[in-house]
Amino acid sequence: MKKLHVGTLVAYIILTIFAIITIFPFIYMILGGLMSFQETTAIPPTIIPKHFQWGNYAKVFKQAPFARYFLNTFIVASVTTIVSLLNSLLGAFAMVNLEFKGKKILQMVMLSLLMVPGEAIIFTNYNTIARLGLLNTYLGLVLPFLTSIFYMYYLQSYFGSISKTIYKASMIDGASDWNYIWKILVPMSKGGLFTVGLLSFISSWNSFLWPLLVTNEDTMRLLNNGLSSFASDAGAETELQLAAATLTVLPILILYFIFRKQIIQGVVRNDLKG
Amino acid sequence: MVCIFMIDEQFVQVKNLRKVYDNGHEALKDVSFSVKKGDLVCLLGPSGCGKTTMLNMLAGLLDPTSGDILFNGKSVVKVAPKDRQIGYVFQNYALYPHMTVLQNVMFPLTVGKNKRSKAEAEKVAKKYMEITQITELANQKPGNLSGGQQQRVAIARALVQEPQILLMDEPLSNLDARLRLKIREEIRSLVKRVGITTLFVTHDQEEALSIGDKIILFNNGVIQQDDVGQNFYLEPNNYFVANFVGNPVIDNFAVKIADGKISGSDFEIPLAALDQDRIKGELTPGEYTLSVRPENILPSEQGHFTAKISDVELIGRERILKFDHDGIQARSLVNLETTIQRGDQVQLSMRLDRIFLFTKEGTRVY
Repeated sequence: MKKLHVGTLVAYIILTIFAIITIFPFIYMILGGLMSFQETTAIPPTIIPKHFQWGNYAKVFKQAPFARYFLNTFIVASVTTIVSLLNSLLGAFAMVNLEFKGKKILQMVMLSLLMVPGEAIIFTNYNTIARLGLLNTYLGLVLPFLTSIFYMYYLQSYFGSISKTIYKASMIDGASDWNYIWKILVPMSKGGLFTVGLLSFISSWNSFLWPLLVTNEDTMRLLNNGLSSFASDAGAETELQLAAATLTVLPILILYFIFRKQIIQGVVRNDLKG
Repeated sequence: MVCIFMIDEQFVQVKNLRKVYDNGHEALKDVSFSVKKGDLVCLLGPSGCGKTTMLNMLAGLLDPTSGDILFNGKSVVKVAPKDRQIGYVFQNYALYPHMTVLQNVMFPLTVGKNKRSKAEAEKVAKKYMEITQITELANQKPGNLSGGQQQRVAIARALVQEPQILLMDEPLSNLDARLRLKIREEIRSLVKRVGITTLFVTHDQEEALSIGDKIILFNNGVIQQDDVGQNFYLEPNNYFVANFVGNPVIDNFAVKIADGKISGSDFEIPLAALDQDRIKGELTPGEYTLSVRPENILPSEQGHFTAKISDVELIGRERILKFDHDGIQARSLVNLETTIQRGDQVQLSMRLDRIFLFTKEGTRVY
């Protein structure tokens, strides 16, 4: 019994330390956004600002078209999420339920593509988008992310756990594949689809490198790139950067708080299925 | 008139059907049979014998490698499952877990060519839910139902399209023994009431014997016998059938035929003592298997051989006397009052008009 207690105690201490390490930057970001410039750069660092500088937020909106960034990011994240979700759904359905020539080879090719890191193909993608004349367009921002092999595989494991006889039963009941997808598969896989949608939205919201490459007009920038507006040759306006960063993270944080149960379930389920 | 009669006699026709899977396994080898309109036919056989493959091909869930399937005189090999006018009850029921019972039963009427207005679909669904006695479960989800209830929902869903043929794949195997007995009687009376032609796959011979109008026994992708139930028992086609059907299982003795008599290790039967009408093949000298059902080998004053009873087992109104013969356990089925006990030496006599003789290849010659 005693041994167990010690073990639990050690576990709690370690978890607490890691939790602080993880959470501290967030807290500091929020607090820093409310400090004066001097406070953000002071040594030793200030933790709690003397006076909360709410005016920082007003300055953020004044100095850069932040509302526009929000709108752009929202459009890009939503379109990416909806289209990639739809594509992954249809792709995963085909891989699980349909029989066609070359299925195994296709599966293998896609699996090996999964191992190519995104950064490795970012310049060829850039070339393609540039030649198509899609720089500084929404289409250029979303096009490379409208399909995702990873999400497709994730859904495939989800759909694979649904008994094959359900599909057969629906065939005999007179349902077309389209009926099956919308009336049976989607309602039965809500959890998986939700996880994919959320992950896709979050990663699109947080994207940095790609929008930086394919946009150079201020009106087409996304939130994360907008943060650079607060740095100039004269140095960074740290307090404004932190305030803007808080604004950027806020929607995602809200999403996490609302849907944390589903997010954790989705991840755990994936792990268990291996 | 003759033509219609023919079609009714051969409502379902399977002709020279073969199925070879992609991995080279030949699941069905040249299978042919026919089913009469309104009959309940059991496809029986051990697991892996091809019976479920057969059912899936009838449903259109699998394509045959060669051969033809006719429903009502028309080939359906190229017809999609939804257009074959079939109902299918799966072994695991395959109910849609996110729908209520009513929605499950209604589903076939909300999609495809059978689609109709919601009110109408609900009316038809309720009619079949009444027949299967699940009306009060209408708003439950399948996850909350017992196995027997799920079974009824699956049957109601299969019947709601008013199909011409009902296919059932081991529908009772997930139920406990008592419920199985009850439901199988219900299934029989239900399909007879609705008048639907039914093919019922099972590996349980007792189930097949009790509900089938006729039974088709498969093994290794070949039909071993296509017959009414009692003939599997009284007139098995071959060694496999004799051993597959019957409980307790049939006794087999290795024998030789030579010099006008059948000789076992400790008994002899002159060929002249056999019922000459039952001889089906030439009894040429050689090695054979003599098989006899346990109720046809009984203790008597003057038996064919003597055996020491190694165990006595009580099965309801009868007892099984177990004994060793040539190192193989054999059984004699006697009535409850018999006082023979373990360790007794008993003379056993076989009913010669009930024994079977099989060649080494399993062909029946007597």
